Amino acid sequence: MTPRNRTRVTIEAVPLVIQPDRADIAAFAPPGRGEQVRALPIAAGDRADGIRRFEVVVDGWMFEVATEPAVRAELRDRVARSAAEHHAMARLTLRAQIPGRIVRLWVAEGETVERGQRLLAVEAMKMENEIRAPQPGIVEDLSVGMGDRVERGDELLSLG
Amino acid sequence: MSLRKDAPVQRPFKTLLVANRGEIAVRIIRACRELGIESVAVYSDADADAPHRRAADRAVRIGPAPANESYLRVEKIIEAARSTGAEAIHPGYGFLSEQPALAEACAVSGIVFVGPASETLSQLGDKLAARRRAAAAGVPVVPGTFEALDVAGEGGRAMTHREAERIGWPLLVKAAAGGGGRGMRVVDTLDGLDESITSATREAAAAFGDGSVYLERLVEGARHVEVQLLGDDHGNVVALGERDCSVQRRHQKLIEEAPAPGLSGDQRRHLHDLGVKVASTVGLRNAATAEFLLTPGGEFWFLEVNARLQVEHGVTELVADVDLVHEQIWIAAGRPISARVLAAAARAAAPERHAIEVRLSAEHPALHFAPAPGRVDHWRTPSGPGVRLDSGVEEGSVVSEHYDPLVAKLLVVAQDRPRALARLGRALDEFEIGGIQTTLPFHRWLLSQADFVDGTGLSTDLVDRLWQPIDLVSVAALRAAELAALAAADSSSAVAAAQDVHGTDGHNGRGNDTWWRAGITEATERLT
Repeated sequence: MTPRNRTRVTIEAVPLVIQPDRADIAAFAPPGRGEQVRALPIAAGDRADGIRRFEVVVDGWMFEVATEPAVRAELRDRVARSAAEHHAMARLTLRAQIPGRIVRLWVAEGETVERGQRLLAVEAMKMENEIRAPQPGIVEDLSVGMGDRVERGDELLSLG
Repeated sequence: MSLRKDAPVQRPFKTLLVANRGEIAVRIIRACRELGIESVAVYSDADADAPHRRAADRAVRIGPAPANESYLRVEKIIEAARSTGAEAIHPGYGFLSEQPALAEACAVSGIVFVGPASETLSQLGDKLAARRRAAAAGVPVVPGTFEALDVAGEGGRAMTHREAERIGWPLLVKAAAGGGGRGMRVVDTLDGLDESITSATREAAAAFGDGSVYLERLVEGARHVEVQLLGDDHGNVVALGERDCSVQRRHQKLIEEAPAPGLSGDQRRHLHDLGVKVASTVGLRNAATAEFLLTPGGEFWFLEVNARLQVEHGVTELVADVDLVHEQIWIAAGRPISARVLAAAARAAAPERHAIEVRLSAEHPALHFAPAPGRVDHWRTPSGPGVRLDSGVEEGSVVSEHYDPLVAKLLVVAQDRPRALARLGRALDEFEIGGIQTTLPFHRWLLSQADFVDGTGLSTDLVDRLWQPIDLVSVAALRAAELAALAAADSSSAVAAAQDVHGTDGHNGRGNDTWWRAGITEATERLT
């Protein structure tokens, strides 16, 4: 069914996607105790695409939530799907979840790794945080070295 | 300030430097103000606008953000003390608090170190030496090695493996100079031992400048209890009661309470005596804590002594009705332990109040408590009867990845444990934090767990056993999605306006309420 008048709401970190229509939304309870909603400022260039971002705190849990008209989201999905057909293998890019420093590097470029295998460790707040392979694959585009500083969101490596 | 000029003539020092940051620096500066002492803060570039800097009467920059270029540099601390005329240095916890080098440098420079003598720190801070001394004094210790591991070469490795097999699995690799779970590894089988020793050694060397590690049995189902100790220059050592710190994750304490639930008066007295015995063997001065495991069989096994103020000292203050930082400073100035503290120690086995502390850290409790630094853009704290908040941040603060993730400690006190738990629930409910993920949802969840609430399931593996955040996060996420949909639907109002006003850089000034407060959020405003 055409998702006309629906809004796609996405929380990538969970992940979670809902597509309520206006009536659904009207039925949602307004914010209550322990719930806070904040609109994150977004880059001016992004505003044209209809995506809006919110920081929402529910019972102490903080989420970044994106909303956009569902029609537009579906269109984007179709474009993405056709592009994906050109790529035979699912490729996963790992990014730093926390800022810190690379203190361990267990793998090298071109190495085949198993799911759950240790890849590298980021030291932040004096703790070593191990990053393991979420899926099997071959290490590609290893873009960090020992001692490098990384910021949140920086690319670490890809599993091809 | 006129208040200071008019303060009582009797004060321990004229000027005191606080060699720390965050909530503990603020806490010590508050004590200075109460005692009529001029306080000096030190700060790194990352803390140029931090609350502890502004709380102090004066402040000295000591270097760039990394701790090993600022807060861990003895010579910069001493220089800051000299340039401000500080007569004493309080090291807080962590950083240089247990480094004999700072205590030694103070002694050489004629500055009073608020803590034990550097020799005592050497003896107690080396956990292995402390284990040997405690055992020699007849205090039961956790089974393990009494010397640092030497894994150089085949011979050393083979001997380490034999020691490990003797102690039994699972076991812990621990840093001899460690604390706060750093440089510590759990090892289940011989397979993982060498790797764990290597990584623990490296972490210990980075964190403490000493990579020595040793082995200790991991006692399953045990509780972590500890005794608060105070000693003076006149030979007095007293125990001010015990704390239970069994709720831990990655060997970091999450919640502490005093007294330890479920102990008899005899057990308490016995535990306090063991703590005093440990402290007396090294001639302790000032504040220290002796940590023990309480085994499922009811035995107390000595773990280590921390010769400094603990993070969780506040629960003891609330139960014993003493101010440990005041006492520390007076003791450092040469006074004997006061009659008031002696009386509190005499009552310590029969406590009449219960206090609980939760550590709010910038960590993601659903992502294995991974560090979650960021900018605090909303900060509304609880208050009211029986509530104390020791905080190192405020709205607008940036929680840096350079330092410990602890942002605040919420403490409650009441006449007994059930009432303290109820008060804690109320206070946690009042806490609103935005911009960073904290351990707040973990603490709210814990108060719904029978193992914790009735005290019967208290053990150091409680969190690993029971914490399954997936369902909690899922429910919260669905609700978050609903709220975002509501906010987006309200296209006419505050959301769009907020974006226009605050621009696109994502950084709003402090005190600038960026929280969306459209018509529907009127309901969130608490009736205060």
